[in-house]
Amino acid sequence: MLSLLLAASEESPNPLNVDLAPAITALIVFGLVCLVFFTKVWPKIGQGLDDRQAKIRQEIEAAEQAQAEARASMERQQEELAKARAEAHEMISKAKADAEASARDLRERAQHELTELRENASHEIRAAKESAITELHAESAALATAIASRILQREINAQDQQALIDESLKELETARGG
Amino acid sequence: MHLIAFSDNPLGHVVDKAIIGGKNPVFVDTASAVPYLTMHMASLIIAGLVFIIMMLSVAGRIGTGGEGEGNERYLTKGRFAQMIEVIILYMRDKAIHPVLGDHNTKRYLPFLMALFFFILTCNIIGLIPVMDVQYLGRGIMGSEMEWAFFGGTATSNLAVTAALAIICFFVIQIHAFRELGIKGWLGHLTGGAPLYLLPIMLPVEFMGMLIKPSALAVRLFANMVAGHTLMAMLALFGKMAFDGLGVGGLVGISAISIVSAVAIGFLELFVAFLQAFIFMFLTAVFISQMSHHHEDHHEEYEEGLTEYSEVPAT
Repeated sequence: MLSLLLAASEESPNPLNVDLAPAITALIVFGLVCLVFFTKVWPKIGQGLDDRQAKIRQEIEAAEQAQAEARASMERQQEELAKARAEAHEMISKAKADAEASARDLRERAQHELTELRENASHEIRAAKESAITELHAESAALATAIASRILQREINAQDQQALIDESLKELETARGG
Repeated sequence: MHLIAFSDNPLGHVVDKAIIGGKNPVFVDTASAVPYLTMHMASLIIAGLVFIIMMLSVAGRIGTGGEGEGNERYLTKGRFAQMIEVIILYMRDKAIHPVLGDHNTKRYLPFLMALFFFILTCNIIGLIPVMDVQYLGRGIMGSEMEWAFFGGTATSNLAVTAALAIICFFVIQIHAFRELGIKGWLGHLTGGAPLYLLPIMLPVEFMGMLIKPSALAVRLFANMVAGHTLMAMLALFGKMAFDGLGVGGLVGISAISIVSAVAIGFLELFVAFLQAFIFMFLTAVFISQMSHHHEDHHEEYEEGLTEYSEVPAT
């Protein structure tokens, strides 16, 4: 049984068998690989990584600086904008006050003119009224005189008196209408 | 799969086979042939060539060009180069720097990246069924001659992973001598234990010193062997079903085994990256264990107060 097992194990491939030749080949190949890698490959890769890193850092710093400048510029602009806004507000307030003052002035002046016109008109009306009354008095006096003269010219009865009065009134109306 | 023609044992898929020379060479039937060459050796050489060509191309694309290119020189050209750059940056900033600190990251990053990408290249080349295609060609042509010139996963060879671990061992120890000095290195072996414990501490620490890289070698080897054996096993189900159940069995079982093999193939792709990372990362950890301990700095880093990029190049 043991001999069978041994024979089987001798025939079957055994991955644990260590041969010196592949080991030496591995040493030589890896040695050459390292030689090429250290002299030709890594200097370029290392330099590339360092350059890229330096460039990225430089770009980040530049971007940060630009951002800081932009922020400062924006703050300045905002300050100026706020100042301009305050000035504009002040100007608007002043303009509004001026406009209000000017409107008030105009209103007062118009009011004053209106009052003057009204006073003039009432004065004129009063004058016209007085003139009319004076005129009426004069007309009445003249009419009374005319009536009296007619009364004196003939004897009149009650009917005549009434007709006379009506006629006089008519004449008066005609005179006023003319 | 070539296994059908080559072996009923799934391990036949992963073990190394001599192409020229050695015992039972598949290509030249001359045991004394010189030079001696195995499939894993050929895969290693191909992986090395692929690595060098690929990395030279990537370096040209990642590297910054001349001033005349303007801002374009800062751009990494090509998706592949960008992917490699992202991997390198991720490894550096998230894996290596937190472990090694600023100074040692600058010093060991090239070695660790070479290690990672070389193992990754070997692992991924091992996933390409080159050997299987060659055997398929042989089957189609009806040739009696062995057609497989190279193939297999070099990192599924314990000798290969051991060689890589030996390199790491020397890097770790040289770093320890440089960083700690002979006295410090000896002091590290004692682990700060009292004198009467030295007879226990010294052998334990010394064994630990050797076991750490051995564990690296075994872990990578075992993962690669296990994955490929599993895939080979799934592929063999079809043949076994055909032998046992005929054509009906071949169709039914093959459908399941092919789907499973594809799924495991994706898992293997992940494992290829993971194991390369683990090998590299644990090497970095072992290097850091042999460094002066800068507790303050480590705490500072953990709190996210310092960044790798803030450290001036040395």
